Amino acid sequence: MALENLRGRIAVAGVGYTPQGKVEGRTAVSFHCEAIRNALEDAGIEKTDVDALLLYRHFDPVGGDQDVTAFTVAEQLGIRPAVLSQETYCTRSWLCHSMGMLASGLAKYVVVSYGDNGRSGKRSWVKELSGGQASDELAAYGDLSTMAKYAMLARRAMAAYGTGPEVWKKIAVAQRRWANLNPIAAMHSKVLDGETYLASEYVAEPLRMLDATPNCDGGRAIVLTTLERARGLRQVPVALRGFGSANQPLSPFRLRMEDESSAARIACRQALDMAGVGLGDIDACELYDCFTYTVESTLRDYGFFRPEEVREWLTADRIGPGGELPVNTSGGMLSESYFMGLTPLSEAVMQLQGRCGARQLGQLAGTRMPELILCSDNGGVFQSHLTMVLERGQS
Amino acid sequence: MYAEFYSPRVTEDTRGFWNNCRKHALTVQRCAKCGRLRWPASWLCPDCLSEAAETAALPEEGTLYSFVVMRRPFRPELEARTPYVVAEVDFEGGVRLVSNLVDCDGGELKCGQRVRLVWRDSESYTSPVFTPAGEKEA
Repeated sequence: MALENLRGRIAVAGVGYTPQGKVEGRTAVSFHCEAIRNALEDAGIEKTDVDALLLYRHFDPVGGDQDVTAFTVAEQLGIRPAVLSQETYCTRSWLCHSMGMLASGLAKYVVVSYGDNGRSGKRSWVKELSGGQASDELAAYGDLSTMAKYAMLARRAMAAYGTGPEVWKKIAVAQRRWANLNPIAAMHSKVLDGETYLASEYVAEPLRMLDATPNCDGGRAIVLTTLERARGLRQVPVALRGFGSANQPLSPFRLRMEDESSAARIACRQALDMAGVGLGDIDACELYDCFTYTVESTLRDYGFFRPEEVREWLTADRIGPGGELPVNTSGGMLSESYFMGLTPLSEAVMQLQGRCGARQLGQLAGTRMPELILCSDNGGVFQSHLTMVLERGQS
Repeated sequence: MYAEFYSPRVTEDTRGFWNNCRKHALTVQRCAKCGRLRWPASWLCPDCLSEAAETAALPEEGTLYSFVVMRRPFRPELEARTPYVVAEVDFEGGVRLVSNLVDCDGGELKCGQRVRLVWRDSESYTSPVFTPAGEKEA
């Protein structure tokens, strides 16, 4: 789908942040509501303007909390959007739904929100068990956790082209350096060096805890509208110059690391075609980083480096503060916050709006003010992929 | 001694597989219309969409696509049997199974090596698991 008619049609008009990291004594729904309230304020629109509310994803409640639905959030905000939705699993359809509603005129302002108390509530990512019993067949082999699925593909990549912990260490270290510049990052005050990374134990070898995104309490929300409408609002609009959506719906154990038709590859191609730009035009990347290896595989499948070049190309100097291709400038999900695709997307918006303080590209030594940022959202285990080309618009 | 993990959740689609495992037969569905082998089990063929299916035996040897050494238990009840190896094994005909690698040192495994089937009978189910091929011959 080249779909050049969609180029630059919609924009992010506002972003809402909440306290994040370890924030006790809060319900998941309260984080949705706080993030949305703050996003509306950021955009400068009224709550009654919201005609579509999409909850980014459903989560089983943890701790003593109750289930969160789009009904609950709308009730607590006192709004009656014409469209309410909540994605059950990680198929990342929020962007295509938003584009469809805005481009057709079915909605004027779409809010996408995320809220979780997974850190305080100790959310488990072992889906293969439910109440101590197997929910599938993988449990029969002790194949538990999302981490084990990523580790399987990471191991294959080691064998295929020589990547490994030496590379992932650099991703973890670089992103921690970005977080050290970000006062709201969960890991802001925690320094990480390569020796500490390598000295830490394997969990699902070849991956370590430091390769994995930790749980987080908090919320994040964005306001999407047409670029025309965004121009009249409070912030510099960030236009969606191009995007791509692709799925590779195989069970994770059937995925091939060498897949030429991976969802990332296809989605990136679509996004760049729609945007009419190439990788060389990209100033920075904000990438979904559930694991360090996810960052590597995204950059690889996008075509930034050939697999056999990984050790020379993927360095902390290149992707960290002051580097040639900044990646995950807030610290990412690994070191800033875990709001799935809204973490990289909101940082891309903030960078393009010039609101990033000590980590602002163009103010940090050795960096330039970005015009185009490439952003990714992932779902499942390399199964669903969104690529977005975001561009600083004019007010 | 092999320790049972968790009894698999058996569905109407996977019942044939696990029943045959109990009889020490490793089988998957073969589409009766187009001949494609498939796993995971499904009511219809993911290529031609026919529901006509036969049972096909998998070979007793496969190739290790990849593996993970689980070094920290994800559940407290797994502590005693950690570390253990989860593996993906490829077979001729395009089927891949998740399984365990047993009776081996996780640190010596290599992607691409040949592995052979061994059966592990637990109280409530039987698992097809694998061990490096050619190492236990007399």
